Amino acid sequence: MAKILIVDDDEDFVSAVNLLLKSNGFDVAIANSRQEGMEKFDEDNPDLVLLDVMMDEPDDGFVMAQSLKKKAKDIPVLMLTNVGQVTGLDFDKDSEMVPVDDFEQKPIMPNILLDKINQLLGK
Amino acid sequence: MQIIDRQKVNKQIKELKKKYGDDRSALMPILQDLQEIYEYLPDVVMQETAHSLGIHPVEVEGVASFYSFLRTKEKQGKYVIRLCRTISCDLAGKSNVARQLENEMGIKFGETTKDGKFTLEYTNCLGMCDRGPALMINDRLFAKVDPEKASQIIADCRRDFLKSDFPKVVPSDVKKAGPILDHGLKPAEAIKKALSMSRSEIINTIRESDLKGRGGAGFPTAVKWQLAGAAKGENKYVVCNADEGEPGTFKDRMLLYEHTDFLLDGMTIGAYAIGASKGFIYLRGEYLYMKKYLEEALENRRSEHLLGKNILGKDGFHFDIRIRMGAGAYVCGEETALIESLEGYRGEPRNRPPFPVDTGFQGNPTIVNNVETFIDSALIIVKGYEWFNIHGTEKSKGMKIFSISGDCERPGIYEFPFGIKVSELLKEVGGEDAKAVQIGGASGHCISRKDFTRTIAFEDIGSGGSIIVFGPDTDMLQVAKNFLEFFVEESCGQCTPCRDGNPKLLEGIEMLENGRCSVTYLNELKKLGETIQNASKCGLGQSSPNAFLSIVDNFKPEILGPAAAGKLTKEERYARKR
Repeated sequence: MAKILIVDDDEDFVSAVNLLLKSNGFDVAIANSRQEGMEKFDEDNPDLVLLDVMMDEPDDGFVMAQSLKKKAKDIPVLMLTNVGQVTGLDFDKDSEMVPVDDFEQKPIMPNILLDKINQLLGK
Repeated sequence: MQIIDRQKVNKQIKELKKKYGDDRSALMPILQDLQEIYEYLPDVVMQETAHSLGIHPVEVEGVASFYSFLRTKEKQGKYVIRLCRTISCDLAGKSNVARQLENEMGIKFGETTKDGKFTLEYTNCLGMCDRGPALMINDRLFAKVDPEKASQIIADCRRDFLKSDFPKVVPSDVKKAGPILDHGLKPAEAIKKALSMSRSEIINTIRESDLKGRGGAGFPTAVKWQLAGAAKGENKYVVCNADEGEPGTFKDRMLLYEHTDFLLDGMTIGAYAIGASKGFIYLRGEYLYMKKYLEEALENRRSEHLLGKNILGKDGFHFDIRIRMGAGAYVCGEETALIESLEGYRGEPRNRPPFPVDTGFQGNPTIVNNVETFIDSALIIVKGYEWFNIHGTEKSKGMKIFSISGDCERPGIYEFPFGIKVSELLKEVGGEDAKAVQIGGASGHCISRKDFTRTIAFEDIGSGGSIIVFGPDTDMLQVAKNFLEFFVEESCGQCTPCRDGNPKLLEGIEMLENGRCSVTYLNELKKLGETIQNASKCGLGQSSPNAFLSIVDNFKPEILGPAAAGKLTKEERYARKR
């Protein structure tokens, strides 16, 4: 069973995604900050990471993605954010500064999120 | 009346466009150069400039009339004398110099002599606060001016034999150096190290150091660089905010002159980290005398492959820096106003979001950092983040460069760690008998002796480095008045609370001076001050009532003096009750 690590400080979003993933047969680990996320990543060895951008600092998601890819470049990272709508920041995948496997905008429909996760897990 | 040949003007504009570009961002430097030629900006010159850049003449006049160093109405004199009227020069005896200057020339401030020889103006802070009263004549600086010296300077101008006080252009007044000012690095050492690192490694090193912006706002530098690095954009920009306009601040003047290479190293490293190829130094108009020196430094670096294409042989890393002059608008120290000014608009702050890291200069990702921040960044890259963050406090890491002026024995530039107590700082500068200290310039807070045990740090009293010491005899009402006059003059006028609120506070000060302000009305003014803080759009408006509010809080018995001393007439008391 694939394990998904959700790193997001929005508790409502985390709770909804947790429910969705568990009801679709995934194991789930949760972290609410970059620091906690890195600890959970080491403890839980997830197969995929769902990552927010703005947490304690506005760039936490980018920084964590860089750290994750240095540790385990084969673990897919799906960035889920509405930072573009909130701040106007328009960014793109970049192996150096934004090393993620894909993006999705929040809010996201459950079926789209599941499709994307399955696609990144190679299912 | 001056007859101006339109064809000649057009030819001049054509030449200037070759130098500065042909888009709107060339407007300010073109106007500045045309003013040099015509000694002001006549209508025809503004019209032709507008036509040439494809914008409406009203837009050009709107820009020209915004900046105090651009003149649209009257030809300026051969010698434009600008006397600093901000608080440090005021404390040092500016009023006597002002009176003598008026006597010598037979004109008032804001006027030009009939023979066209002199224009006399006030200006806000020349960055010579430790050597006041200061004045500037065209691009030459004069410090510690007294009435006799003022008279001599005018006589020298009349003979067209004006000697500068500072042959080296900028005086060095470092009284205490530490790890930052005594860094011992060689130029370009930091760039070489940075180019051996990845972009994310550079930003992570800055992040680990916990460097926060040294301009005063304290935004984490690494976050700014990371967001700009992540932002999509073919053209990204690095801007050095050298618009050091906060009254009481003069440390950037020294840093720009004595640590030029390390500033340029920091900008180049910033460019490499975010992927920028173009940069600007936005230099305040009052530092015009430094422009030539900085341009020479840039040229030297181009010849040493430290600027230009493939810097130090790094394939694909191209970066160059241009200097753009401010024109006497304090608000342009605010980063979005600075960007507006760079783009050739009035220096009016923008709404945020979007932020400059994504939508900065001409809509491109842009980082704007203070001079000191860039220098610190370069040093951190070479010496490591531990070298930097062992100093300071938990939330304010590192050393800070302070500009200290006012009533103390040893004014000058000092390097202290963040977290220093105000009392310790006063001991260092010989200001132990101070009655009050203004921390953070005009936009900062004025504290009294009861708060001298507090610390200077972002988590206690934040500061961009300006410290003004007020001795036991200082009239605090006059201090508040000076600061409010400054903000009334410098408000960009864009939003109502700041534009209309500050004159109201100033009017309140004048009522206090005349013993006509009741405590009830003073409390109303405090509420107005809080509204200005909450409802203004930019940092200038939000911080403009700080000094007034803190002086009212800390020195109420003193500023209510005329009323308390029973100096009011029956009619005045009646007027106060109304």
